[in-house]
Amino acid sequence: MSETVDIGYANLALAYILLLIPLFLIVWYRVPMLGQTIQGIVRMTLQLVLVGLYLEVVFRLDYLWLNGLWLLVMITVADVSVVRGTGLRLRFFALPLFAALLVGLGAPLFFFIGVVLRRPMPLEAQFAIPIGGMILGNCLRADIIGIRNFYEAIHKDEKAFLNALAQGARLGEATRPYLRNAAHAALAPTVAVMATVGIVSLPGMMTGVILAGADPLTAIKYQIAIMIAIFSGTALTVALAIWLTMKRSFTGYGTLDERIFRK
Amino acid sequence: MEISEGKKLPPAVRLERVTVRLGGKVVVQNFTFDVPEGRKVTLTGRSGSGKTSILRCILGFTVPDEGAVYVTGERVTAESVWELRTRLAYVAQEPELGAGIVREVLERPFQYRANRDFRRNLEQTPQLFRQFMLSDELLAQPVSKLSGGEKQRVALIQSILLDRKIFLLDEVTSALDRAAKQAVLDYFRPRADLTVISVSHDTQAFNDLVVNIGNSRERE
Repeated sequence: MSETVDIGYANLALAYILLLIPLFLIVWYRVPMLGQTIQGIVRMTLQLVLVGLYLEVVFRLDYLWLNGLWLLVMITVADVSVVRGTGLRLRFFALPLFAALLVGLGAPLFFFIGVVLRRPMPLEAQFAIPIGGMILGNCLRADIIGIRNFYEAIHKDEKAFLNALAQGARLGEATRPYLRNAAHAALAPTVAVMATVGIVSLPGMMTGVILAGADPLTAIKYQIAIMIAIFSGTALTVALAIWLTMKRSFTGYGTLDERIFRK
Repeated sequence: MEISEGKKLPPAVRLERVTVRLGGKVVVQNFTFDVPEGRKVTLTGRSGSGKTSILRCILGFTVPDEGAVYVTGERVTAESVWELRTRLAYVAQEPELGAGIVREVLERPFQYRANRDFRRNLEQTPQLFRQFMLSDELLAQPVSKLSGGEKQRVALIQSILLDRKIFLLDEVTSALDRAAKQAVLDYFRPRADLTVISVSHDTQAFNDLVVNIGNSRERE
């Protein structure tokens, strides 16, 4: 297979010409998101340039502690994003969710690198950072859906939830139907992607490996392994996130602590 | 407010100087109330007088700001409440039965560990349906098709099947016609082992003691 084809900065600038299409449509139809779109494009560019520069250094040095530290930064940012996305209070959720993300990312990541790829160092920058990012990105989306679904459903369905407690259910028994629904909502998108991958879409990992010059069969092997790692990571992190946050979100009497919701 | 009994048994329910504030507003103030085992009591009073808050305190869904609540002599705390709830039945004015057909709904709480031993009580379902003037055919109907009065009686039957002894009833006969209401009263009134605390504007139904919140009176 061929080598990676680099994009020159001038050519990259040409890519921005494509933006004229959505910008024209937004202006023509007066879609009220012009400012938001421009801000999004600027942020994407700046963030990726900065991260690219930083990762150049990280990859060049390839210090295990620095790679680990970067993963922790990624988890911290994901942690805050998830809590903000759920409409819940950071002080109740930040710590348990951090632990859930750490385990939900760490377990499939180290299995992927250590067992599937058989790399001697599980924190090698070339693998740990991109694969960790893919798993974490999916965990973030699934956690927002799962956690929000779980707490909002109990809040809205308070009468039925309290009725279960009044009928003698322990907290785990009373919350089980809500946990089941939340897990379903959180995992359904990943399952749908797994069921259509390769036909409806060529996912980022596979595309990246092909663009890097590998043959398509190598790319699909990576893709299968990463899909499994993502699914395991999201399932683990959603279950752990709900389980760990429950300890702070319910009173000793089993009722939902209303202080967890941001007003 | 107390009914003197001369027995050594603790009251089925005791509220001791209970004060509840909700959103900074006092809804129950310094309320003391004993219900001996087997008595049928009605709490009445205007809307917002704290009747439902009292039931919530007994169930541990509202924690009193002051005072204490006891069920069969045991104080309701975060530790004890889980076991104490297995002695209580709560039936709301609009019972939350969940989705599904009536038979499934009746069986649902028996999945909980605390109720598994009572599963064989489900055999009494047809008899209780007849006693509460409900057709057996309702068992195969979806809950969504039940009328308000049918839902109230299904919820009552569910509590009876769970073998509870203290019934907290919130306007539970409000949607029943005269005959169905009488059937409910005929079940509870002669049962000396069942204690009833009913929140209702109907002060004739369970009238061993009628407590008008904020203006109490006794009837013996």
